Amino acid sequence: MKQVFISKVACATALGLGPDRLWQGLLAGECGIRTLQRFSCENYLSTIAGCIEELELSEGGSRLDPLLELIAAQLGEVPQDARLLVASTKGELDRLESAYRAGETVPGDLLFEPLLAKISQRFGLRDQGMNINAACASSTVALARGAALIANGQAESVLVYAADLVSEYVYSGFSALQALSDTAAKPFDTLRQGLNLGEAGVALLLQSEERALRQAQSPLACIAGWGAANDAHHVTAPARDGSGLILACQAALQQAGIETQQVAAINAHGTATLYNDAMELTAFNRLFALSLPPLHGIKGSIGHCLGPAGGLEALVGCYALAQQLIPGTVGCTEPEEAGQGRISCAPQKIAGEYLLSTNSGFGGVNAALILQRVAL
Amino acid sequence: MRAWINGIGWVTPAGLGRGRQAHGQQPLITGELQIPTRKQVFAEIDRRFGRLDDFSRIGLAAATFCLRDAGAEDWQEKRPIGIVATSRYGCLQTDLDYLQTMLPQQGLMASPNLFAYTLPNSFLGDIALRFGLTGNGMIVNRRDPSRLTALKLGLEELAWSAQSGVLAGIIDLNPPPELVTPDELPGSLFLLLEKETRVGSESYGELWLATDGLRFDGQWVEDLLQLVAACLKKRSPVDGQSG
Repeated sequence: MKQVFISKVACATALGLGPDRLWQGLLAGECGIRTLQRFSCENYLSTIAGCIEELELSEGGSRLDPLLELIAAQLGEVPQDARLLVASTKGELDRLESAYRAGETVPGDLLFEPLLAKISQRFGLRDQGMNINAACASSTVALARGAALIANGQAESVLVYAADLVSEYVYSGFSALQALSDTAAKPFDTLRQGLNLGEAGVALLLQSEERALRQAQSPLACIAGWGAANDAHHVTAPARDGSGLILACQAALQQAGIETQQVAAINAHGTATLYNDAMELTAFNRLFALSLPPLHGIKGSIGHCLGPAGGLEALVGCYALAQQLIPGTVGCTEPEEAGQGRISCAPQKIAGEYLLSTNSGFGGVNAALILQRVAL
Repeated sequence: MRAWINGIGWVTPAGLGRGRQAHGQQPLITGELQIPTRKQVFAEIDRRFGRLDDFSRIGLAAATFCLRDAGAEDWQEKRPIGIVATSRYGCLQTDLDYLQTMLPQQGLMASPNLFAYTLPNSFLGDIALRFGLTGNGMIVNRRDPSRLTALKLGLEELAWSAQSGVLAGIIDLNPPPELVTPDELPGSLFLLLEKETRVGSESYGELWLATDGLRFDGQWVEDLLQLVAACLKKRSPVDGQSG
């Protein structure tokens, strides 16, 4: 099996533009959650979200268009032969919402095919790509598939591009599900009461070692292992025993050929909903027994960005391994007992070569990546 | 990358069906899709089925018939079987239905149940929990004129993971009139791909992903229609070979 390198990254979040800005903001414990101006929240459980300030909406367009430009401008050149894996849960949903409000028919170019063509063209790729929908684990599953393609010699480069927006459609849905917090989210905190939604775009270029070296890229990290599993329990609620997440993590560890003791840190999904966070702590404590490593989540800073969530967290994991440091979990001042001593609102030093990053979502989905530090 | 095709099930304009009872008739046809009722799918009362959106109903029904066809419907312990399906329109109709609940009163009447199904992969969770399937699950959106993408992905999943099987298929409702294209094949059809054949149930044959395409029992496969026709021909009761 070939090694899989993450050789280029780009992102836009509520903390600003670029991976360095995200990393510095997370280390500083910043929170990008603000009062929503995009639509009225009068009838919803919350009035806040993590929006990207730079996303201007053109008439008849989608905010995904300027988001794509922000990401592409950062990422620069991508090999033309790169395979394209997109991870968006709802695509240009804002356009559907606008058309529906205006009493218009469904725009003909609203489907994923035109969106994929747009993304492929913007990055100058030959591959028209595919969109992978695995709910909030979409970009993690896309990264897993991209890594598998390279590891098994089916591709030399894979571009994973993920983006989702804060729209009234999604906001109202999470409000109806009683999942939103009306204050800044508190992942893994005993007083957590729900999530904040966020929006983001993220791109990660995966490459084989040979290709990365030939193109003089300085890889940020390797993807050493990956796994995915379904809870087979409930459509919107996680299995309380964490069985699906444990299976996904075990598959990723096995793929990487490492033991749990070699995992230096965990970047958890950490939505700040009661059940998700409890399920994750249950799963991690079972998986790691008495040696739970330092653990953190970033959704208290940027909100839950849905499709791109896992891609952003993998990006942060690259920085964490390189600097041997994980950011604090913004909002977590009183960690759940099951995470005490391992979760902090301040950055924590780590020591090791591997980091576990996980996501879970609707439909019982769980996905896990093992990131490996590269010698710089 | 090889796997056995151990079951086929569908909900299409041809109706509900499964391979070993199809009498060789091609189920992938154009036309208006009828959404199945619970009684057509499950003999026993099933409260969940009634709460499903139409997209999820056809997906769950097709997967059920596929597993039934393979003799894999009943289970005691959860099984490492994944689910991969391609979809052009995804749950667009559910999106529109949800908007109807959300817009009139500025979100006050937004339906949480409908919202839960505004992700096209949600119904994979219904299949997984009903049949104890713990493998990877995803919906893939792409241009797929041959409708073979999910099968290729399924074969790769089997080759690159410890999963024992993958339900691979297609799913789309009839699209809104303004989006209809000439090559629509509405409905859902799943094939159960497994690393091993099943005891007491003869396989349809072996599917093989070569570097230049798919082969079924050694013959090139151009599209899903051709593959399904070949499978049904092998197991048609008319030939006296029904499993």
